[in-house]
Amino acid sequence: MNYWINRRRFLQATSSALTVGALSSVASQASAQSSGELTVMVGGGDYGKANIKAYVEPFEAETGIRVNPITDDMSLAQLELMVTTNNVSVDVVTMGNGTASPAHKKGLLEQIDYSIYKKEELDGIVDFGKEPFGVAFVMYSVNMVYNTDKFPSGKPRPNTWAEFWDVNRFPGVRALQSGIYGNEGPWEEALLADGVSADALYPMDIDRIFVSLDKIKPHVRKWWTSGSEIQQMMHDKAADLLQSYDGRAVLLVDQGAPIEISRSQPKVTWDYRVIPKGAPNAQNAQKFIEFSTRADRQATFVQIFPIGPTNLNAHNLIPEEVGRKLASHPDYLRNSIRVNGNWYSDVGADGLSNAERLTQRWNEWILL
Amino acid sequence: MKMFQTVGRMPIGLTVPAFTILFVVFGIPIILLFFTSVNAPAFSLANYQAFFSHPANVRVLLQTIEISIVATGICVIIGYPTAYLIVAAPKHLRVALVVLVIIPYLTSALARTYAWIVILGDRGLINHMLLDLGLISSPLPLIYNRTAVYIGMVHIMLPMMILPLVSVMMGIDKSLMAAARSMGARPLTAFWRVFFQLSMPGVRSGAVLVFVLCLGFYITPAALGGLPDAMLSTFIASQVSTSFNIARIAASAFVLLAVAVIMLSMFGLDLSHRQGSAGQPARKPWLSRRSPFGALKRWVNELLTPIRAKRWIDQLYRAGGDSHWPKIVGTVFVLLVMFYLLFPGLVVVIMSFSAGTFLEFPPSGLSLQWYRSFFGDPSWRDAAWTSIQIAVAVAILSTIVGTLAAYGLTRTTFPRLRGFLTMLILTPITFPVIVVGIATYLGLVKLGLLGSNTGIVLGHSIGAIGYVVVIVSATLANFDRRLEDAAKSMRAGPFQTFRRVTLPLVRPGIIGGAVFAFLHSFDEVVITSLIGGLSIRTLPLKMWENIRHQIDPTIAAVATLLMLLPVLWLMVLYVTWWRSKLREQPALLNSAI
Repeated sequence: MNYWINRRRFLQATSSALTVGALSSVASQASAQSSGELTVMVGGGDYGKANIKAYVEPFEAETGIRVNPITDDMSLAQLELMVTTNNVSVDVVTMGNGTASPAHKKGLLEQIDYSIYKKEELDGIVDFGKEPFGVAFVMYSVNMVYNTDKFPSGKPRPNTWAEFWDVNRFPGVRALQSGIYGNEGPWEEALLADGVSADALYPMDIDRIFVSLDKIKPHVRKWWTSGSEIQQMMHDKAADLLQSYDGRAVLLVDQGAPIEISRSQPKVTWDYRVIPKGAPNAQNAQKFIEFSTRADRQATFVQIFPIGPTNLNAHNLIPEEVGRKLASHPDYLRNSIRVNGNWYSDVGADGLSNAERLTQRWNEWILL
Repeated sequence: MKMFQTVGRMPIGLTVPAFTILFVVFGIPIILLFFTSVNAPAFSLANYQAFFSHPANVRVLLQTIEISIVATGICVIIGYPTAYLIVAAPKHLRVALVVLVIIPYLTSALARTYAWIVILGDRGLINHMLLDLGLISSPLPLIYNRTAVYIGMVHIMLPMMILPLVSVMMGIDKSLMAAARSMGARPLTAFWRVFFQLSMPGVRSGAVLVFVLCLGFYITPAALGGLPDAMLSTFIASQVSTSFNIARIAASAFVLLAVAVIMLSMFGLDLSHRQGSAGQPARKPWLSRRSPFGALKRWVNELLTPIRAKRWIDQLYRAGGDSHWPKIVGTVFVLLVMFYLLFPGLVVVIMSFSAGTFLEFPPSGLSLQWYRSFFGDPSWRDAAWTSIQIAVAVAILSTIVGTLAAYGLTRTTFPRLRGFLTMLILTPITFPVIVVGIATYLGLVKLGLLGSNTGIVLGHSIGAIGYVVVIVSATLANFDRRLEDAAKSMRAGPFQTFRRVTLPLVRPGIIGGAVFAFLHSFDEVVITSLIGGLSIRTLPLKMWENIRHQIDPTIAAVATLLMLLPVLWLMVLYVTWWRSKLREQPALLNSAI
């Protein structure tokens, strides 16, 4: 019963978030002073190892705070259960653009203390990465990728989403991202293909998205749902023309796969480091997040694991050939459209967020 | 002693331990979730109205039911003859076949799905071969459609069908068939009227398990299916990850549960329904009773009966069979089924020796590096050890508790109560796994067991008990209770009777249940990731944390090692047999399976 009372009270409290916020930050300050510890979710695999090397170990050396890195990710569900049942055991969590914003609107996140940042570092961090609830620390993009055997140099190659949609001029097997999760999908691309200009995308016209998707639907062989899936498809040459995360494609290009990444209309998105409300070591968490957005730290990190830094000064510290592979390179960033996480989490009169509305429309559309 | 006697009189009491665990860990939070779904204390059906107001939800619900029914049907059609042939095989072969059937279950879901993509893909093995042979000019669309979904689902679910069937068929007295034949029944009639009827509890419990588990599928349809091949769990998973609106998620989950309840009550949930033992009137085929030819047919039939009986006796004494065909057809069938079950695993094994950094088939070169990366990394070894410990604990706990519950349920004299309680026990495997995870999380928070081994064991057991109950109930259904009465009449106490008579006879079912309880725990990732509290890393969690960022052949290596486990176990078993045979103690043979 406890949980439900807490939850209801909690939901009521989000309107007067100040009170709750103040209470929990007092509590966390008290515990932070008592122990020099910190628990950070760093992600799995090589990505997690790079996090430990570039951030966790130097941070321990600089501050003397003992960090417990957990090599896993946290979902919105896990975060909400943890916070609403008062079982917060983690101080720093990584969340995507599409989930951090709704988590913030549900009152699950602490405020970021920007007063501890040095001015030149703060100025280096991209504007869209500095939110009250989190600081972006990696940046990546969704790009068009084509098979170079199918589209050799010298012959016309597809470069814009309008050309991806043009099945007569560019015949070939296509793959696009599934829209089942609502908060990411081929939405922006569908509008671009339909002639919407990049600066007029948001607020997105959901009806127009699906009119545009109707046109490409019969030509798409697979609507993928995960990065590993699209990576396999590119590796197996299962499609000629696809939409993919840039990092997955770069990995294959480096291994000599016959594919090329179009950087002319990339869709940039990013992950935030956030602090769950009621984190036991919130103060140390603030320090860790500040540490991991410094240019020199990010320069180290992106050279171990190829992913764009959010502190653009990091590009001055890395070789140009490494920087050219990252979504944050100034040349690419100029043409990029940026995923507007706040639009996705905006809640309409019917109580549904735009992301949920997209999911519902998607679910109807696929079963037609 | 007195306690046992009381228990003997009130068999339903045996279900108490199972329901206590279920209720505390899972039941209370589920009830609270239900209240949330109806917006308690205001009580409104808004969330349910919202669910049904979207045509997509209704359509996907119907589609989920359709896919589950078809997959279950295919499992019965393939599984029944397979189980029959396995039971008919010589003992050593039989054990080996049962172990081989379990192997697909031990391949990680991701490696297995990838194996199917390798086999069925546009540039996969089959298309490659057909293109090379010049039989086709462009790849056949073998993947990203409904057929591929069924191929993938049946592959995973077939063990669930075969194992309960085998455990029931093992208990059927073969001399009953011989008796029927000796009285002139045609082979098919003898099979249909005797063996098939007696094996029905196995069909029913296998079908219930498969159907209920199919309802909750989503990874396989998403990976192998086309755009429209979605299931309700796909929708629920996306709700959980984007918005996490508990009330709406709970409403969808309860709709799915309601579907399961309705379907199962139509199909007959009474798993321990007994055949014939109470002098049930023999069911005559309705056709012969109604059609005008019936009488004639029956008359001819009766005339031929003594002839057939005589021929059967002749056959018995003739050296060698007159026909090899049934045997050949049977062997080919079993080989085909085994090929289907094991070939994807073989693909995974080969990929695990790849020298490249991707899962690829055929591998570009051979190396042992992915095994080195497994054994060289203490976090992998620790995770494997944690998983084994947890799975053994789950197997022990849920086998004991589940067997008691199955025993209690079978002996209950109120069929309605029995059906209701069985459904309750099956709830944790019927519900979408993510909702079970949320409920278990809330239950364990209250017990203060979040992030503890005990918590994970309890969290896994609520599902595992379901498997045990279903499989053991099926074995108990055919159990002749007069054997117990006989033992009691010879002054055996209830406990002694259970230990010396009941237990040995239902052992195949108990072993089958324990195996699935172990596997259920060993394979579990969704619930564990919620209740593990970040401190406990099991093998599946470790695999998933890697997979999100990169797919390297380590997961294939891990899957291969897992497949090796039952094979090693089998070898140990054979050595034991071989030695006991040397000592000429055939009695010991009975101890295995």
